[in-house]
Amino acid sequence: MNQPYPRFPEFKYYRPKSSKEAVDFLEKYADQSRPYTGGTDCFNQIRDKRIHPKYLVDLKSIKGFRKIEFDLKKGLNIGAAVCLNEIIRHPKIMGYYPVLIEAAREVGGYQLRNRATLVGNLCNASPCGDTIGPCLTYRSKVHIVGPDSKHEVDLKDFFKGPGKTCLRPGEIVASVSLPIPPLGAAGTYESIGRNKFGDLAIAAVTVLGYEKKDSLSGYEFLLALTAVAPTVIFSELAQEILKTLPLTLDTLEQAALACSEACKPIDDIRGSAKYRRDMIKMLALRGLIRTCKQLNIPL
Amino acid sequence: MKIKEKIPDLIGSNVHRVDVQEKATGAAVFTDDVQFGRNLLFARIKRSPHPHAIIKSIDTSKAEKFPGVKAVATGVDFPKRIGLYLKDKYIFARERVRFVGEPVAGVAAISEEVAESALDLIKVEYEILPAIFHPDDAIKPDAILIHPDLGKYEVANFIFPKSGTNISNHFKVRKGNPDLVWDACTAVVSRKYYIPHIQHVPIETHVAVAKVDQTGKVTLWSSSQSPFAQRDLIAKSLGMSPSNIRVIANYVGGGFGCKAGVTMETLPIALALKVRGRPVKLRLTREEEFYTNFVRQALVIELKMGCDKDGNILALENTMYWDGGASTEYGVNIARAGGYSCTGPYDIPHVKADSYCVYTNNTIGGPYRGFGMSELHTGIEQCVDELAEEIGMDKVAFRMLNAVQKGDILATGMKMHPTGIKECIEKAAHAVDWGKPSEPCPPNKRRGKGIAIMWKAPAMPPNPGSSATIKLNEDGTILLGVGGQELGQGAFTVAVQIAAAALGVPFESVRVVGPVDTDYSPYEWQTVASRLTWSMGNAVMAAAIDTRKQIFEIVSEAWGEDTKDLEIIDGIVISKTSEREIPLKDFAVYGIPNKDFEGWIGGPIYGRGKFMPNYVTGLDKDSGQGERAVVHYTTGAQAFEIEVDLDSGKIEIIQAVSAFDVGRAINPDLVRAQMEGGIVQGISSTIFEQMIFKDGQMQNPSFVDYRIATTMDLPKRIESIIVEVPQDDGPYGARGIGEHPMVPTIAAIANAIYDAVGIRMEGPPFTSEKIFTHLKMKGTQGFQTNKR
Amino acid sequence: MELIKIHVTVNGSEEILDVSPNLSLLNMLRENLALTGTKSGCEAGECGACTVLLEREPVNSCMVLAVECNGLSVETIEGLSEKEAMKKLQNAFMDLSAIQCGFCTPGMLISAFALLKRNPNPNDEEIRMALLGNLCRCTGYERIINAVKKAAKK
Repeated sequence: MNQPYPRFPEFKYYRPKSSKEAVDFLEKYADQSRPYTGGTDCFNQIRDKRIHPKYLVDLKSIKGFRKIEFDLKKGLNIGAAVCLNEIIRHPKIMGYYPVLIEAAREVGGYQLRNRATLVGNLCNASPCGDTIGPCLTYRSKVHIVGPDSKHEVDLKDFFKGPGKTCLRPGEIVASVSLPIPPLGAAGTYESIGRNKFGDLAIAAVTVLGYEKKDSLSGYEFLLALTAVAPTVIFSELAQEILKTLPLTLDTLEQAALACSEACKPIDDIRGSAKYRRDMIKMLALRGLIRTCKQLNIPL
Repeated sequence: MKIKEKIPDLIGSNVHRVDVQEKATGAAVFTDDVQFGRNLLFARIKRSPHPHAIIKSIDTSKAEKFPGVKAVATGVDFPKRIGLYLKDKYIFARERVRFVGEPVAGVAAISEEVAESALDLIKVEYEILPAIFHPDDAIKPDAILIHPDLGKYEVANFIFPKSGTNISNHFKVRKGNPDLVWDACTAVVSRKYYIPHIQHVPIETHVAVAKVDQTGKVTLWSSSQSPFAQRDLIAKSLGMSPSNIRVIANYVGGGFGCKAGVTMETLPIALALKVRGRPVKLRLTREEEFYTNFVRQALVIELKMGCDKDGNILALENTMYWDGGASTEYGVNIARAGGYSCTGPYDIPHVKADSYCVYTNNTIGGPYRGFGMSELHTGIEQCVDELAEEIGMDKVAFRMLNAVQKGDILATGMKMHPTGIKECIEKAAHAVDWGKPSEPCPPNKRRGKGIAIMWKAPAMPPNPGSSATIKLNEDGTILLGVGGQELGQGAFTVAVQIAAAALGVPFESVRVVGPVDTDYSPYEWQTVASRLTWSMGNAVMAAAIDTRKQIFEIVSEAWGEDTKDLEIIDGIVISKTSEREIPLKDFAVYGIPNKDFEGWIGGPIYGRGKFMPNYVTGLDKDSGQGERAVVHYTTGAQAFEIEVDLDSGKIEIIQAVSAFDVGRAINPDLVRAQMEGGIVQGISSTIFEQMIFKDGQMQNPSFVDYRIATTMDLPKRIESIIVEVPQDDGPYGARGIGEHPMVPTIAAIANAIYDAVGIRMEGPPFTSEKIFTHLKMKGTQGFQTNKR
Repeated sequence: MELIKIHVTVNGSEEILDVSPNLSLLNMLRENLALTGTKSGCEAGECGACTVLLEREPVNSCMVLAVECNGLSVETIEGLSEKEAMKKLQNAFMDLSAIQCGFCTPGMLISAFALLKRNPNPNDEEIRMALLGNLCRCTGYERIINAVKKAAKK
């Protein structure tokens, strides 16, 4: 029986002003410290006694971490401390990355989105994180700062398991960047929870589709499956089907079936593996139909 | 209380609630808001991790020495049992633990963090015992006894525990003999349903602060529906006089039954006894609220119902096993209520019912809005639908044919009073266009309509009293004293309306004295059972009549007129004959001077009134028969139109209509507010809510995984219809409504689902996965692609 | 535990407090400042009873540390009740009996207040979405949504 704390247990609080200060501290106190931005995941984990950091390292004051930068060549760069509501409000993000907005809206309630950050969601690496699918399909990269180096990692290589990323002790993600999507790209985020809205996903599918001249179907689609594997995963077979076969309703159904076969869901208190598999198929089909409609592909 | 011939304007008026200003500005004081200063200590509780175990030893020595800890308590110091109808609970566990979360020890310290840290230093050794999690296992002949001393427990004389078993109450109803008429039935339906545990989820969790002064007097501040019952029960369990315990009950942030009786309040008192002079506060975390206090009992219900070819229900066999959990001090009465109301609101000549309250090692079952009726009707109303279908009769017509009416002899032998249930059925059905097909919907959706009806009586001991006081101030304003609690249902507002109407003073001139304080407030049994408007309302009216009598005696003496010729209108005493007037404020405290100021007449005016029903009789132990089982029944109906999404199993509620007979709506807007809140809580319990247990441990004790309805989960249209067939002994004819609006909801939605997609499930919640799985089994799969 | 000195503007007034790092904003308001209008319902960021405005944006104060608010402004129901826009909302809630037990009410009002500031004319769905993070167990929400609509109209 794990009883959460009635209020936060003791910890120390450190608010570095620069990434160097942050990573030096985090490396020095590797096992005892925890970096955070919004706190919505981290605080609950502390309260639930799942983690016991001696130091909480608040990254919100680090220069540049609150910035959203957009330019037509480089695309979008979102600092680690940018909260979901700021992202939802940003006109360029709505214009170029609507699927990210669609998913971000589903996270909790308005108050929560004033604290929860996109980078925080990614680093939390939950198998059912709503924003992960769209970030993957938009081919995001995370920009990691460590004690000795800076480097970037494709988001698809970032996740190692439920709650696990490739970050080493002392490393933090300074920002996530999303390149400009292919011209005319369209997509959807379809999820199902217990409530009509705002619940964690029992299953979800992100679809992103765009014209691709050298593909047999004339299009390329990326499909990310959420809450049905240790991490959010692409359905490679479905993507292949949609690239090689002419785009008919039948093809979409085949792709949806491939999605349901690609996922590795488990039974948990939110839903059974069986139901998740069935819902992935249904959500994938729904998402593909809706995306094709946006792309003006007749089915 | 006779109904007045002319109903005052204030009755039936939608006046603003009297407590909203405070609540809207954050000024309203709830128990955790009361300021106690630097002396306040904080309590945390060490709880059993096992569902069933013998306590071999408890070592609190290290905790006692932990810096900042001021007191540690265990069951060693508190040997008396506590309980409302059956004394089967200890303050802290003694000898054994019976559910996960049971209090084993408590710590009071200078901060919550220190108290929490000290808990880890308390070492408890357990010897694990086999545990029981389902009534089916609890009633097996070789089942381990969860309360081996059941036979020795003090118990109310209308509760019948079976010593040597896990059955803490067996209520029987025997009317006629169903076995004689099964052959005469054209249709017979046999069904078994399981309605799982759910929790009340008040947004304010339980909180209590206790202080024991140097003379040994206890003061308890608690978020409570039952300050007087708490005083009485706690006093008994501590061997004290009730006059040495004072309970102060502020506004309650949602009760729904979980804050009735006594639960966690004894814990801070136990600790406070060890630190005289310092207040000790215990707040339950949300997680503790979910599974350590009160939950709604789960129910296994086995029904057999039969009707003839014309649709008359001839017989009912109803066996109910209520999963009461580790302590059934309150739950035994739920089993009883389920028993005497076992037929639902139907006139059935042959009835055999057995209602068992069963111990298990699950969380303690207690009063929950509906007090067993929701669970009971979930079974009855689905069977009724099936019977109607079998004989090819319309489901509304079937209910109209069989619904109770005035004069019917009920299953317990009680004669039914006038009731508007048929009007409720007709109006609810009409509001959803019953009989007309739903509007067309897309091919991957199906629509359906369902109806369910209900009844409920206030479940009380035979002698639950209410009282009220009226105090006039110097300026003619009035302080109304009551012992009932404002939980959000509007009790204070309705009390003011009744007082003002009965007295003849403006609504604005009456104020309820709060918080309820057992030292100063008049006695009220409990704020439960939807009884306040009726019972407390009667007491308020009696107090108003008593006050009027005193007022008229003073004025008649001063004016030399007959009291019969006097009236009070808008706070002014008027003579109907001489037309003389005198405002109350001119004499309410200081009296009226004689002619030429030769002496004075009158003085401070203080009215009092009481109400206690005196006609409830006992019921025979073996047949459940008695002249008058209950005070009265409130009846009603709900009708739903829903839409099922075949692709996912999700339900959308298109229309949700309630119609209830409230006797007289003292404040129609507040009555409708109860109906709306109730139907949404009902929808939430139908579609989302379930306590998920594994080995007695709740797996989802947080909002993350115990889902309740949010703003996005509401019906497209809600309608609340008031029917008024007056209650002969209600104030202005009023009857209660608080619990009823969530009672028929599960059944009505279940019936609508059946109408839409032809499936019935073992029990709620009707999650999308459950519905989808049943649809798949039936062959009605989704994924209908929309061929354009 | 060592204390950290913070300067927080609460309801327009600067407060200088010595707080421990693990003190939530919710407990700072309720315990250090006796501003008990903000309520604790779950301490997990789920129910919204603890909603306050931080830099004019609604947040769950149980999920914010007091130390994070150094140099920032916080508004609670007590302070916001002085504002005309809030009074309109409160009157609408009172007129429509959108308050029962009252425990979710301060948080609900603050979420609604912030909504009307950023969107003076919200439609039905926008209101529901803005209040999604505020749980109510008593009213069934309809009257609350109608009250927000009514306040927006005036």
